Amino acid sequence: MATIELAALEKTYPGGVRAVDGLSLTIGDGEFFALLGPSGCGKTTLLRTIAGLEEATGGSLSIGEREVTRLAPGQRDVAMVFQDYALFPHMTVLDNIAYPLRIKRVARAARHEKARQTGDGLELAELMARRPAELSGGQQQRVALARAVVAHPSAFLFDEPLSNLDARLRLSARTFLKRLQRELGVTTIFVTHDQAEALAMADRIAVMEAGRIRQVGTPREVFGRPANTFVANFIGSTPMNLLPATVTDHRLLLAAGSLPAPSGLGARREVTVGIRPEYLDFSATAVPDALSGTVGIVEHLGTSSLVTLETDGGPIGVVVPEEAEPAAGSTGWAVPRPGRVLLYDNETGDLLPT
Amino acid sequence: MSEPQRVDPGNRAVRRILGDAVVRHALSRIGLYVFAGVMLVFFALPLLWLVLTPFSRTPAYQITAPSFTLHNFRVLLDNPFALRSIGNSLILAGGTAVLAVVFAGTAAYALSRVRLPGRDALLYAILLLSSIVTGTAAMVPIFLMLFQLNMIDNRLALVLVLTGGLLPSAMFILKDFMDSVPKSYEESARVFGASPLQILRHVVAPVVRPGLATIAVWAIVQVWGNFLLPYILLHDQNKQPAAVIMYTFYDEGGTPNFALISTFSLLYSVPVVVAYLIVNRRYGFRFQGGIKG
Repeated sequence: MATIELAALEKTYPGGVRAVDGLSLTIGDGEFFALLGPSGCGKTTLLRTIAGLEEATGGSLSIGEREVTRLAPGQRDVAMVFQDYALFPHMTVLDNIAYPLRIKRVARAARHEKARQTGDGLELAELMARRPAELSGGQQQRVALARAVVAHPSAFLFDEPLSNLDARLRLSARTFLKRLQRELGVTTIFVTHDQAEALAMADRIAVMEAGRIRQVGTPREVFGRPANTFVANFIGSTPMNLLPATVTDHRLLLAAGSLPAPSGLGARREVTVGIRPEYLDFSATAVPDALSGTVGIVEHLGTSSLVTLETDGGPIGVVVPEEAEPAAGSTGWAVPRPGRVLLYDNETGDLLPT
Repeated sequence: MSEPQRVDPGNRAVRRILGDAVVRHALSRIGLYVFAGVMLVFFALPLLWLVLTPFSRTPAYQITAPSFTLHNFRVLLDNPFALRSIGNSLILAGGTAVLAVVFAGTAAYALSRVRLPGRDALLYAILLLSSIVTGTAAMVPIFLMLFQLNMIDNRLALVLVLTGGLLPSAMFILKDFMDSVPKSYEESARVFGASPLQILRHVVAPVVRPGLATIAVWAIVQVWGNFLLPYILLHDQNKQPAAVIMYTFYDEGGTPNFALISTFSLLYSVPVVVAYLIVNRRYGFRFQGGIKG
């Protein structure tokens, strides 16, 4: 168990590519922490730098009370689960799980005993004599987890742990992984490009872009109050509506209508209004303080539908409960729920305090 | 009404063409089988000779139905050099195989993992030059070098020269195997604290074992059949391998001693076949990397 502390951590590749750009971050003891971002944002490089597989070119990193910036991977007391699980194909499941103990020179009988116990806890008891190639994707993932657990590290590092599973299995693996992490209480950092996965599993999320962290927060904070338009765009299964607006006396003028303006905007004239489709209510009749447009595409999401309103200022997405879908071509109004309208600075893209 | 009346001239032409095609197909088939038969006999005869003649009372060039005897083997056992030369061949082939696997394996691993500028060019250059190192053109320099080092009649020196000749191709083949080992295997072991040597022993070597086995057998076969190098570098008949000793089984007039040659040939071919069979059964022969589950 340990806190992980990054101080101005930097990783620059010889070609000059700055994959990790001076990150400072503290991950609490026992926390389930997600590194989230699009491909190429440096999240995997950051994880590998924490593991020691990449050498940091600046800053410092400590795990627990120890400064480990210059230590070899094997001395950092972390266990990593790789995207392809990296199970050794020539070893049985038992030998795979026991491998970290073999490196620590635990006697054969003792390490097999320990590996069996760990495997039992992960429902692998029947599979101990098999080779990895004879296992399903979900079983392979559990073997990789068992191998990490048996090492008894002070932190787990997971690199896209669910991306090699099919969609249905991914959901159950998500629950499983979260429960396992909670039971073990080991500080865990996992990398994902899937925002739904991060929202579902993590205690806190760091959203990354181009080697920098754009926002750190709980899933609720990151979803409900994205700190900038990048995070707003990236988080959420339906993209957030980002609409240009002009500020006049106490009103926000948009192409599709006008909304009441919050106080404290100062002399600002141009802003970007951000509202999640989930936080808009649809109305088929005219209402005040709403945005209006023509109903275009209706996409079924299961228990709800995403309705696209075509307005003068571009499309606006609204989530409508099932069986309340409007007919295409009719006129509709989108009413923001109170407190859900976010304003972003046009130049920096940052959230304005309201 | 009835079918045949409706056959028009065009249809009949089609039938004739079809008939021709069938005949032509049959003829080509017959030709193919005759050709295959002749080829089979051509290649089977020497093998038949190899198996039958050692047990013949009157061993000669022709193949005769054996009037079974083991007398020829008695002649072989009486020859002072025959069995010892097989032992020498085993020492030379085994030593070369071990050295080639160890050196080529470690070199290929390094070449596969370390990014060197011009690495591929280096590899191809070594491969091209390798035919020169132990080729006929290099015999005189190699002989002179070992002579001045006072290493003529030294089996270790011969093993090193043979290994040197095999290394480039072996490295080339093994690098492909090494490239196919996912980096995550090694990284995973590294995070658990394994040292580079442990990673090589526990993870990389077992995964590329088919490649290592292929190289070992290939090295054995190469050394087993090599005549020129041991002939030049080993002068003591007690140290010469089978391929060289076989040439002493002729009398001064050049007449072969069939009793000796036939039995010796049989004995000479057994180890290579056995080595091949063992490796083929356990790993399957492959010259390309890849993970088999």
